[in-house]
Amino acid sequence: MQKDYKGPVEYSLEIAIEKIVGLLKEDYGISKRAIALLLLQDEEEIKALVREKETEALSKIEAIIEEISAHYIHPLTYELALERQAQVRQIISKAVTVKQEKVSIREKISRLSMNPITGLPLVLFVLYWGLYKFVGEFGAGTVVDFLEGTIFAQYINPFITNLFVRLLPWEILQDLFVGEYGVMTLGFRYAVALILPIVTFFFIFFSIIEDIGYLPRLAMLLDRTFKKIGLSGRAVIPMVLGFGCATMAVMVTRTLATKRERIIATILLALAVPCSAQLGVILALLEGNLPGMLIWAGVVGLVFLFIGYLTAKILPGERPSFYMEVPPLRWPKIGNVLTKTYVRVKWYFKEILPLFLLASVFIWLGKLTHLFDLVINLLRKPVEAIGLPHQASKIFLFGFFRRDYGAAGLYDLNKQGILTGLQLVVACVALTLFLPCIAQFLMTTRERGWKVGLGISAFILFFSFGVAYILNLLLSNLGVVL
Amino acid sequence: MPEEGSQAKEKMIKIAIVGSPNVGKSVLFNALTKRYVTVSNYPGTTVEVSRGTAKIDSLKCEVIDTPGMYSLLPVTEEERVARRILIDERPNLVIHVVDAKNLERMLTLTLQLIEAGLSLILVLNIMDEAQREGVTIDARVLERELSIPVIKAVSTKAKGIDALKQGIKDYAERL
Repeated sequence: MQKDYKGPVEYSLEIAIEKIVGLLKEDYGISKRAIALLLLQDEEEIKALVREKETEALSKIEAIIEEISAHYIHPLTYELALERQAQVRQIISKAVTVKQEKVSIREKISRLSMNPITGLPLVLFVLYWGLYKFVGEFGAGTVVDFLEGTIFAQYINPFITNLFVRLLPWEILQDLFVGEYGVMTLGFRYAVALILPIVTFFFIFFSIIEDIGYLPRLAMLLDRTFKKIGLSGRAVIPMVLGFGCATMAVMVTRTLATKRERIIATILLALAVPCSAQLGVILALLEGNLPGMLIWAGVVGLVFLFIGYLTAKILPGERPSFYMEVPPLRWPKIGNVLTKTYVRVKWYFKEILPLFLLASVFIWLGKLTHLFDLVINLLRKPVEAIGLPHQASKIFLFGFFRRDYGAAGLYDLNKQGILTGLQLVVACVALTLFLPCIAQFLMTTRERGWKVGLGISAFILFFSFGVAYILNLLLSNLGVVL
Repeated sequence: MPEEGSQAKEKMIKIAIVGSPNVGKSVLFNALTKRYVTVSNYPGTTVEVSRGTAKIDSLKCEVIDTPGMYSLLPVTEEERVARRILIDERPNLVIHVVDAKNLERMLTLTLQLIEAGLSLILVLNIMDEAQREGVTIDARVLERELSIPVIKAVSTKAKGIDALKQGIKDYAERL
């Protein structure tokens, strides 16, 4: 199909296209005209392809493109898009008729969900009932209590422990498999009794809002805010997933368009997005302490926005563009939800189980070589610097192995009455920001490479204590009593 | 190579299904292939591509379900892979699946695919929702304007699949 692109006659795009087509000698699988158009739009991969196939032609082509670009106000991509759009409109006007109807209820709800004034309260509503009540209280609370407290603690663990103690007479090896942090008693149990139910419930929630068509609307709603922190609406999905399990969310950052966006999302997930396991324990800790909870949420939220904004400023690269289809709202289909949940849980569990088992081995090695005592001693100074008792240093180390284990340790300390309200809030903030769990760390290095993974961890290590230090200083000097 | 039969019937034709995300490409792919489907990462990427074979009467087809693309000018890794498939694997026939509700946004890619010199069938999918929204499309006018076959479909209800198969056969006979 031939088209005439307008413009000053002697520099018309059509002439440039013809010239470029004339220079292309090789076979490209698609028409030379299409290749010429892509070259005019400065497409890297096609440029590389042409450079590889016919080196000499490219420099001549680039000269043509440079000359023609100078005669248009807008980038050629934009000019071409305008031309195409006009052409499409013309075809549409001939072939399509739309009956104007009243705005349906679905459409009204859809608009409300994307309007900031009504949309933001709706997000809070969805998060409260879906994430906090359904995944947190029911999944991570009731179901986990039953699986872990009853099934594992009373039946499986005693049986396995007994078995291994009989099979392996060496205490060191017994520790590896069935000790306090054993591969079976911690790694396996943690994956099956804790992560599996939490993630299953999370995926049910996620699949339902996905099936309804809520996610693209959420992405549209948050796109503007996300742009400021170097992300696009596309990043809504990994961020929402991060509240379920950040390890999985890091894996999902693959779907983001640019490397820059992937790195920013990974940093934010590691730093300021607590996973459901951690969130559950922290919410329990601060329950009934409304000012404390607000301070915690406020500080973590601010850190999220601030670091996002800062990394977006520092990291080179283009701002992401975002364009998304918004499908109509639909009633969720039970079959869809179940299938999606099943497939995801299965895939996720296969990815995550080996990492948990590996983490147990690391803990075993750490204890065996007394490396842990060393690290706990190293952490002692910074922990005391942020105004916490030295017993808290252990929490941070274990928090690295299990995010919520650190929080649970805090829970124990708090029960012993060692912590003041202020210390508790500072500790919660520090622990939320502190290094993600080892599984997330391993996933980060796998997705982003060792350099980025270690760099992010080093930054977080200092930053989390820095924020906690300032918060402690601020609150104590202001004489805040929580 | 078997000797008997006309060449067109014995030859295996390669079909690529393209289109933006969420237009029902995979449902259509499954309806065509049914069996012998493999899913693998496209070399050097984390993008998954499904491939399968279909048999329409005696015509054998290799069918590729490409990742979602909005334009030949790629933004995401998925789009890059989809374009690479069109360029490197040289499908004989390309089926462009579009959401009939949003035809205006989707036809741009159709024009680009035509411009790229690919043999094309346009599938107007999700016709039921389009009708519910009061959108009527004259497929014959579209065929005339674009000079390619246009087929209406509701892939989730298996509507239009037979017409598409017929379209593929017609294409193979002209080969």
